[in-house]
Amino acid sequence: MSAADIALDVTQSRRHRAAGLRPVRLLRLARHAAGALWSQKAKAFLMMIGTAVGIMLLTAVVGLSAGVQQRIDQITAFFGPRSIMVFAGGGQLHGVGGRAEAGTTLKLQDAQAIEAQYGYEAVVAPGIFSGDANVKAGGVGTQTHVVCSTPDYSEAFDWYVQEGEPIDSDDERSMARSAVLGTTVATNLFGTEDPIGKHIFINNVPFVVKGLLTSKGTSMMGFDQDDRIWIPLSTGMNRVFHQDYIRFIRLKVRPDYKVASVVDQITQLLRQRHRIVPPEQDDFRIITPDFIAQRVQSMARTTELVGAALALVALLVGGVVLMNILLLSLSERVPEIGLKRALGARQRDILVEFLSESVLVSLFGMILGVLLGLVPVLLIPRLFPMMPMAVSWKTFAYAALFSTGVGLLFGVQPARRAAKLNPVEALR
Amino acid sequence: MIELTNIVKTYVTGGVETPVLHGINFTVEEGEFVALMGPSGTGKSTLMNILGLLDRPTGGSYKLAGQDLTTLDDNGLSAIRNKRIGFVFQLFHLLPRVSVLQNVLLPFLYTEPYPPDAKERAKALLQSVGLGERMHFKPNALSGGQQQRVAIARALVNEPSIILADEPTGNLDSVASAEILEIFDRIHREGRTIVMVTHEPDVAAHALRVITLKDGAVASDERRN
Repeated sequence: MSAADIALDVTQSRRHRAAGLRPVRLLRLARHAAGALWSQKAKAFLMMIGTAVGIMLLTAVVGLSAGVQQRIDQITAFFGPRSIMVFAGGGQLHGVGGRAEAGTTLKLQDAQAIEAQYGYEAVVAPGIFSGDANVKAGGVGTQTHVVCSTPDYSEAFDWYVQEGEPIDSDDERSMARSAVLGTTVATNLFGTEDPIGKHIFINNVPFVVKGLLTSKGTSMMGFDQDDRIWIPLSTGMNRVFHQDYIRFIRLKVRPDYKVASVVDQITQLLRQRHRIVPPEQDDFRIITPDFIAQRVQSMARTTELVGAALALVALLVGGVVLMNILLLSLSERVPEIGLKRALGARQRDILVEFLSESVLVSLFGMILGVLLGLVPVLLIPRLFPMMPMAVSWKTFAYAALFSTGVGLLFGVQPARRAAKLNPVEALR
Repeated sequence: MIELTNIVKTYVTGGVETPVLHGINFTVEEGEFVALMGPSGTGKSTLMNILGLLDRPTGGSYKLAGQDLTTLDDNGLSAIRNKRIGFVFQLFHLLPRVSVLQNVLLPFLYTEPYPPDAKERAKALLQSVGLGERMHFKPNALSGGQQQRVAIARALVNEPSIILADEPTGNLDSVASAEILEIFDRIHREGRTIVMVTHEPDVAAHALRVITLKDGAVASDERRN
């Protein structure tokens, strides 16, 4: 050994210190720490329980909120992401798809005014809707839904004919007794026969079938969307249902315009037309995908908040338990620390070893917690299909983040205490 | 190689100063086998801790191979402990949860860069102390003498120049003691510097130089040939 050797040791130690902890060394120390944990499995299990419970709750909460988001995405896709529905009748909407009292306040002129002023911003399709119309063809009769709407119906709802012709402006202008059938109605009335050109009666008014809509299947609410007939709005108002008001105005905002600003504009316009001055209540309701998303979210929010709070409490309690077990076990490991310091462990090495133990314990707790938490996340949607629950990458990201956080946060004090031990006293 | 100049160590507890070492001066040349003797409480252990860079002197200078170590920080001291000094303790200080082989490999946890032949070196050393067959045993499956041999292998694994042994036979019967001392003789013949604290004259007889401390100072320093 020469002076140069010692000088080299010193410069190397400085360089390593400047470079921080090298990953190889970190890995080596972490592996050693894993061995230390393995030799005390019962204690390690106690140390991880709190984290496991916390992460389990977290997994369930994240599963719920991912499920809610998934549900919102489905609803938005179903509703149409750029769509607005204006309904007659004011008051609060109770739940998604809930019905407020029927209103007669929305007029065709309202829709025409919206179209005249904002037609360049959105496709506008006013309409009325009857849930229980009697339809007959030949000897066969059935009950179905009748939608009366203008030719813009197709574009506004992204729903086109697959065969024959849609309702056109001539039909609308002339109050034509033309009907376009949904596939379910077509099958109910005509079986496998081609319905185009056939005669049907809607509430005893004769119509000619001129088209067949594409099939949209069952909606999320379990409603058969193909069980419907589309007739011109003018025909519906004047020849079938005899009413001078409409039930809805559907808008599809054109690509260059914002849904929110269209909503503002038509709200102003309708208030003006209906002479409503806030805080007076509106006699119409405007529904957008955002509005529905908020409703769904607010239903889940309480559960999410309570779950998240419980998860946090469990993580905190788990962390405190972890810290105390580490502090207690420190005293019996003092000789080990002294020995390692004698063998050349720096303070930082001891710190890393102890922190690795607490982080590893938390990570094992995380694995246990995620596994336990995934049980309800996977099981609940099977048992209760309406409950939104979904597995998401966020589950794993949050679990890793929080468990590592607990390990570091509550491991740092015991680890620092271990690192700061005086090696001479530790060896005694 | 080891140069102690006027080493002073004073402990302060509760505002009361307790001087333990006052003005230790000696040098140890490379390859020497030194026994450190003296009655209990004369500062032998304190001096060993200073020699082993586990403790800092209150005053004086400590040079190793001509380099002054008194100003080094924890990282520098740890690096030198790791590579240049091997420790053998009275109570062996083996890690009970890992195998004999892993115990010998322990110093490499802190060695930069990690030697690629670490395992071969550890195995060869265990062979040489007669424990090649037991390297996968846990330490507590071994006798005291065997445990101390593992500790010696651990002290040697990083090929340090200096071995510091604090009463290495203090907890062993005479047969095991003789085996351990034989190993120390061999290490000495291989050219390593040994400083060994002992109470027993027949143990000290293996050394070629005996330094006796009394009341925190060197009372005698005798060389034998």
